[in-house]
Amino acid sequence: MTDIVTRSAAPLLEVTDLRTWFPSGRGEVKAVDGVSFSIAPGEVLGLVGESGSGKSITGFSIIGLIDDPGRIVEGSIKLEGRELVGLPSHDLRAIRGKTISMVFQDPMMTLNPVLSIGTQIKLALEAHETIDAADARQRAITAVAQVRIAEPERKVDFFPHQFSGGMRQRVAIAIALLHRPKLIICDEPTTALDVSIQAEILAEMKELVSELGTALIWISHDLAIVSSIADRVAVMKSGNIVEIGPALGVLTRPQHEYTRALLDALPSRAKPGQLLLRGSGIADAPPPPRKSATANLPALGSPYLVIDNAVKRFEKPAGLFRNLAIKSGLSQPLTVVQAVAGVSLTVRRGEVLGLVGESGSGKSTLGRMAAGIIVPTSGTIRLNGQPVMSTGRAPKKITTRVQTIFQDPFSSLNGRMRIGDIITEGPLAHRLVNRAEAPDYVRQWLAAVGLDPTFANRFPHQFSGGQRQRIAIARALAMQPDVIVCDEPVASLDVSIQAQIINLLIRLRAELDLSLLFISHDLSVVRHLCDRVAIMYQGLIVEEGLAAAIYDNPQHDYTARLLAAVPVLPQGTETTAAE
Amino acid sequence: MLGFILQRLWQALIVVIAMSALVFCGVYAVGNPIDVLISPDATQDIRAAVIAQYGLDQPLWHQYLSFVGRILQGDFGRSFVYNMPVSELILSRLPATLELTLAAVLFASLVGIPIGMYAGYKPHSPISRAIMAISILGFSVPTFWFGLMLIMVFAVQCGCMPAGGRGETVSLFGVDFSFLTGDGLAHLVLPALNLALFKFSLMIRLARAGTRELMLSDTVKFARAAGLSEFTVLSRHVLRLISIPLVTVFGLELGSTLAFAVVTETIFSWPGLGKLIIDSITSLDRPVMVAYLMFVALLFIVINLLVDLAYAALDPRLRKGRA
Repeated sequence: MTDIVTRSAAPLLEVTDLRTWFPSGRGEVKAVDGVSFSIAPGEVLGLVGESGSGKSITGFSIIGLIDDPGRIVEGSIKLEGRELVGLPSHDLRAIRGKTISMVFQDPMMTLNPVLSIGTQIKLALEAHETIDAADARQRAITAVAQVRIAEPERKVDFFPHQFSGGMRQRVAIAIALLHRPKLIICDEPTTALDVSIQAEILAEMKELVSELGTALIWISHDLAIVSSIADRVAVMKSGNIVEIGPALGVLTRPQHEYTRALLDALPSRAKPGQLLLRGSGIADAPPPPRKSATANLPALGSPYLVIDNAVKRFEKPAGLFRNLAIKSGLSQPLTVVQAVAGVSLTVRRGEVLGLVGESGSGKSTLGRMAAGIIVPTSGTIRLNGQPVMSTGRAPKKITTRVQTIFQDPFSSLNGRMRIGDIITEGPLAHRLVNRAEAPDYVRQWLAAVGLDPTFANRFPHQFSGGQRQRIAIARALAMQPDVIVCDEPVASLDVSIQAQIINLLIRLRAELDLSLLFISHDLSVVRHLCDRVAIMYQGLIVEEGLAAAIYDNPQHDYTARLLAAVPVLPQGTETTAAE
Repeated sequence: MLGFILQRLWQALIVVIAMSALVFCGVYAVGNPIDVLISPDATQDIRAAVIAQYGLDQPLWHQYLSFVGRILQGDFGRSFVYNMPVSELILSRLPATLELTLAAVLFASLVGIPIGMYAGYKPHSPISRAIMAISILGFSVPTFWFGLMLIMVFAVQCGCMPAGGRGETVSLFGVDFSFLTGDGLAHLVLPALNLALFKFSLMIRLARAGTRELMLSDTVKFARAAGLSEFTVLSRHVLRLISIPLVTVFGLELGSTLAFAVVTETIFSWPGLGKLIIDSITSLDRPVMVAYLMFVALLFIVINLLVDLAYAALDPRLRKGRA
C-alpha cells in the first residue's frame, strides 16, 4: 500500500480473546480459540493459515454469521467501541452489509443463479434503506460501473451465469461496497479465479479501498497474495494467531516456527527439482517390483508420448428438427466448443512436461485425450508408437501404460469402496497381480506413497485431502504405468500438504523412471517440478520450451502476461506484485 | 423456445400414438364386451348382429385402425352403459374432479411449502418436529382410512360437515362448480383434505429438505452478510431456488391426482372421473376406458409441457440454451 496507515487512530475493530467453538459428538471443536487483534480504519490485515486454522470462522464470528450449533463462547468483538458479541440478531443484521460486509471465495456459489444482478443489488439496498425501483436500478448501475464492468446499463439485467468468474466476483464486491462499509471481510476472494483475473481484482480492490478508506480483512492461504495487498499479516494455526506484524516483516523475517514452515513449503522459494523443506517427513519405502516388461522401452529422453495435431470439438446433440434442418442444409450444428484446436506435443521418456493454462484453455481436455479417457476429434495420440485409444464407433482405451491423477481426491475415489479394493481394482482386471498377491501388493504401494500399510481396509472418507491424493497416486501407480497425466493434482491442497505431494512425485518419478504430463495453473509448482513447460491458450500451445528458459525469458505475449500476473513473495525487498 | 415447444409437441404425438396402441390392445385383452352388452338368452342371430355392429368380428389391426380413424374425427365412441358419447360423458365429469384436485393440490402447496420451509429453517425446534411427525403420518396413513375417519368425526359424530356428494352447484360458463356456494364449499372441504394429505406431506418434506440444504449454502450466507432480513432471504432467495423441484412434483402430483382420485371420490361419493372409470371397468364399458386412458396420457403430456415451461420461467440458465 502506498499510503501509510496511522497507527495512533482509534481502532475500527478490536477483537479480544475470541473463542468460537462447535460442539460435536466428541466434545467441543475449538475452531477459534483465543484470537486477539485490532484493525485501524483503512488498514488491510491479511489473515493467513491453512484449512482448518480458523481463519474463516474468525471472519464469520466478526460478521455474526456462525452456523448452528457453533457459538462464540468467550471474548469480545468491538466495532468502534461497540460490543458485537451478544448483540441481538436484529442489531447485528443492521450492521451486516452496512458497516461490515463480506466477500466469499466462490462467486459461482454466492450469487443467486435465478435472480438478475439488478435484483440482487436491489435486495441488498432494501436491506438498509427504503428505496423505489427506479432509484434502486440507478444505484445498481452505478455500483456495477464502480467495479469496472463495461456497459453497466445492460449488465444489471444479466443473470450470474452470463458472467465469467471474475465478473461475478466483481458483482459480489459491488454488493459488498453498496453501503460504503467501514470494513470488508474478504474470504479467499481470488482463490477460485485465474491468475490474470486475480491480479486484476487484487489491483482494483487495492485502489477501491484506498479511495474509499475501507478497512479490509483479507483471508487467504496464499502468502504471496497476502503480501501484495496487506499492511499487516496475522498467521493462524489451529484457532490461534501465532504471529502478527507488518506484512514485510512477517514474510521476510518470520519469528514463529510455523510461519517459517509455511514459507519453506512454498515451491517458489526452493530450487527447482529439489525436495521441499518440511514437506517430507514420510518413511520412504520402495515401490513393489513391476511385472510389465520394460525391455523394449525407448531410452530415457527419447520421444515417448506423442500427441500429433490433436483436435477436440464438443458439439451439442441436435434434436430431430435440427437434424432434419442440418441435413437439408437449412441449419448449422449447434454451438461447437473447440476445446483443443490442433496441438502437437511430445512427452519424452522420463521427463516431466508441465502444461500450463488458465481455465478454459483446453489443458484438461488435452490431458484427458493423452490419458485415453476421451477420443480426439482428429489427430493421433501414440505411446511408444502405439495408439492410446482404438478407433471406430466406440473408441476405447487400449493401453494401461498411461494413468491419470485427478484434481479432486474427494470425488475421484469411490466412497463406497475400501482403499485396498480401489487400488487393486485395475491391476486385478488387467492381471498385473492375482487375488492371492493383491493384499500384499496394496500394502507395498501404500508404504511407497507414505501411508500406513494397514489402511487398506479403510474407506476414503476416513482420510484427509492429502492422504486421499496419496491414495489416488497409489491407484495410478499400481497399474504400473510409464506415463502419468496429473491434472492439477495439488490445486486443492494446503501448502504443506502440497509440498508433501510434490516431494512424493519427485521421488517416485526418479525411482520409477516415470514420464509426467503435469497440468496446472500454478506457475510456481510447475517451475519447481517440470523439466519442460508448454503454455496453452485458447486451445493452442503458444509457447514450449525448457522451464528455466520460459520463466526467465518468455517469448509469447500471453506467457509474459501470465508470469507477470503471479503474485510474488517479498525477497527481503519491497513487495513486487505486478499488474 | 419455439423449437423447444415444437420438439415437445412432436414427442407428445409419438407418446399419444404409442399410448393409443397400448391402450387398445390392453383393453382388448381384458374381456369380451359382448357378454355385458347382450343378455345371455339372446339368440345367435342377435349376437352376430351386435358383434358386427360394433365391428368386433374384424381382425384386431382393423379394429384399431377404425378406432384411430374415429378418434381423428373426434368420435371416441358411445358408452355401452350410459348410451351417450364418451367425450360428452368425460367432459361432464371433469369439472367435479378438476375442482376437487385443484383444491387439494393448492392446499397442499400453499400450506405445505411454507410450513415445510419453516421446518427446514428451524430444524430442531419442537414445532418443526411436530410438522415432520404430521408429514410422516400423512405418508403412512392409507387414504381410505383417513377419509373414513374424517367422515366419522366431522360428519357422523360432530355433524358439522356433509359426508358425501357435491352439494349445491352453480353453473358458470355452462359448467357446474360447487366451490361457489357455501353448501358446495362445505362438501368440498373433507374430500379435498383427504386427497391433499399425501401431497401435503410430500411438499413439506421437499420444501424442508431444500431449505435445510440452502440455509447452509454460500448464497444464503452472502445474502445474510449483505444484511438481508431472514424473511427476505427465505422469500426471495430460498423459495426461488427450491421452486424447481417443487414445480416438478407439483406437476406430477396434479396429473396423478386428476387421473387417479378414485379412492377419495368413491369414499365421498364425489361424482368425478375416478368414480366413472371404476364403474366402467367393472361393467367392461370399453369405449369409456379407452377414452379415459387416452385422456390421462394427454393430460400428463400437457402438464409436463407446462412444467418444462415453468422451469424456463424459474431458471434463467435454462432459458438461454433453448432460446
